[in-house]
Amino acid sequence: MSLKASEQKSGQIVLPGERLGVIEEYIPDSGTYVKDGVIYSKIIGRALMDMLNKRVSVYPIVSGVTVPKVSDTVVGQVGNAQSDNVLVRIFKVGPKKISGVFTGILHISDAHDRYMKSMNDVCKPGDIIRAKVISDKNQIYHLSTANKDLGVLYGFCSRCGNLLETKRQEMQCPKCSNVERRKTASDYGKEEL
Amino acid sequence: MNEKPEKLIDKKGCRLDGRKADELRPLKLEVGVLANADGSAYIEHGKNKILAAVFGPREMHPKHLSLPDRMVIRCRYHMAPFSVQERKSPAPSRREVELSKVIRESLEPSLFVELYPRTGIDLFIEVLQADGGTRCASITAASLAIADAGIPMRDLVAACAAGKVDDTVVVDLFDLEDKLGVADVPLALMPNLNAVTLLQMDGILTPEEFEQAVNMAMEGCKKIYAMQKDALKTKYMAIKEEVEEE
Repeated sequence: MSLKASEQKSGQIVLPGERLGVIEEYIPDSGTYVKDGVIYSKIIGRALMDMLNKRVSVYPIVSGVTVPKVSDTVVGQVGNAQSDNVLVRIFKVGPKKISGVFTGILHISDAHDRYMKSMNDVCKPGDIIRAKVISDKNQIYHLSTANKDLGVLYGFCSRCGNLLETKRQEMQCPKCSNVERRKTASDYGKEEL
Repeated sequence: MNEKPEKLIDKKGCRLDGRKADELRPLKLEVGVLANADGSAYIEHGKNKILAAVFGPREMHPKHLSLPDRMVIRCRYHMAPFSVQERKSPAPSRREVELSKVIRESLEPSLFVELYPRTGIDLFIEVLQADGGTRCASITAASLAIADAGIPMRDLVAACAAGKVDDTVVVDLFDLEDKLGVADVPLALMPNLNAVTLLQMDGILTPEEFEQAVNMAMEGCKKIYAMQKDALKTKYMAIKEEVEEE
């Protein structure tokens, strides 16, 4: 009888707190929690009852909570910069814009695959950069831009604030022809924000 | 209804708005009404009109308020100046500060706060029109907004009040009954776990009346919970169909 009831539930939309079964029937998987031996859903999603492996999980319908994780690609604005590291205000995790920001840290040793002498040659405050999360220990996000597709997406002239243009190895301001250095991403200036 | 009525319940057992003692006011719930919030809900409970919005989990600002082992919940219950008969000052009053705390604490047991350490969620509850029982309606709406944001929860929270007007114990008091009645018992419930997360009382009840009021409020919560479920399913069924068409 209980088997019949749970089979009907598989694939159906379940809400937080909805009873999915007991731990004697299934192994609780993602999207579920156990209280007093009963398995409940903890998110809105589709219940998946795997009868072969005896697993029950809830697959979210829409992306729920977005907190940066290791290996996520994030986009953020460079805030406070020092000679060997910069703080990055992350406002986009993967494809999703988040309400509010998370603060990440980019150290010079993770900025490029070769030796960089100064953070000034990587990015400057105000720049928009794309980076990868390499550590999230204690909710401190360590970032890396050591890849072709990572680095500055939009760089701004430190003299007049205009958007910089790529010019061979360097960057030039079209307004005041100031020349600067950046570690740019391969698709510099193309990311939609 | 400015003059004070003599009797709150007539000879037939009908209340001032025509309801029976165990009848709820008409309820309308809507999920995902605000585009910029991570989760939102709107409730019309009788003449109450309340918006709830959830943001986060996100980094706390100011940062020193965050806790190393858990997510912090911040709640702001606010009544619009035009929400009551006499203009209310938009500044948070003593009552609003207390209700913010009460609502926050009644929702906290439904959340897995330990899953997102050093973060916080912000809960904004805006009362656009008030007619008694706003704390219960706010909890009902806020819980829906949290579920809409995709934040893991133990259960939805539904809230309903019961109380005593004249000599009868009734459910879901409106403004006039609240003010002229004898007692008011707001109650919030996680229906699947059968756990009470809020229980208050003001006024005077005998132990028997109190028990009756609690039971009536619990019944009310269960009815409201069924409507909460419908509201969420209406929204997510539509999304599910869209996803399947793609």
